Amino acid sequence: MLWRWLIFVWIAATMVVALLSAPLVPVLQETTRVLYFHIPSAWVTVLALGWSMINSMLYLIRRDLRNDDHAAAAAELGFVFCVVATVTGSIWAKSMWGSWWNWDPRETSIFFVLLIYGAYLALRASIEGEEKRARLSAIYSILAFVAVPPLMFVVPRIYSTLHPDPIINGSGKIDMDPMIRWCFFSMLLGFTFLYTWLQSLRVRVSRLERRLAT
Amino acid sequence: MDRNWVVLGVSLMLWGLLFFWILRVERRVRDVEKR
Repeated sequence: MLWRWLIFVWIAATMVVALLSAPLVPVLQETTRVLYFHIPSAWVTVLALGWSMINSMLYLIRRDLRNDDHAAAAAELGFVFCVVATVTGSIWAKSMWGSWWNWDPRETSIFFVLLIYGAYLALRASIEGEEKRARLSAIYSILAFVAVPPLMFVVPRIYSTLHPDPIINGSGKIDMDPMIRWCFFSMLLGFTFLYTWLQSLRVRVSRLERRLAT
Repeated sequence: MDRNWVVLGVSLMLWGLLFFWILRVERRVRDVEKR
């Protein structure tokens, strides 16, 4: 129980320091605050979708439904965190670009990721029979994740975008004020722990659902 | 009121609500697991 409260205090304390003490990025000004929620959400999205892909591969190798539980839970949570990243990015875009949605390469890429994983969830919901659902979903999840790194990391770098530079810039350095950097990485860690908690909880729910169904 | 305090207040409130909701869900899951 204690570690759950540690996650709560960790994220809450980071929020206090980030929103009251950390300086604003000159280019971003007041919208700097979005950075502490937007990027960790995007990071957890990639982490969760990657975990979904790994467990899908493990399912196809071992045919163990526990791997399918992990893959499904990770894809669901990846989708939720992707929505959070999209909404926070859209709020930022309204403030900086004057419009909620501009079809900027970053926005278009994240839209495609949402479509791909929305289709994954629809696919799972439409198939009867655990084994068949797990097998087809695993194949889809592996193919879907192939599209994620190009969409999240390559496309926005190829086309000209108004989106701020990535955290690790073109010269391979993290160009951030030390205080902002501390808050940013602290929030990244907090979101990662929150994701692992939610992942384990969702997997437990899936197992209960199976137990109750039999 | 300072905008920073407003943003902080809203953020902490949302985070608190989410946290206690997850705790509640986990408690219910534990109850069903025990049955």
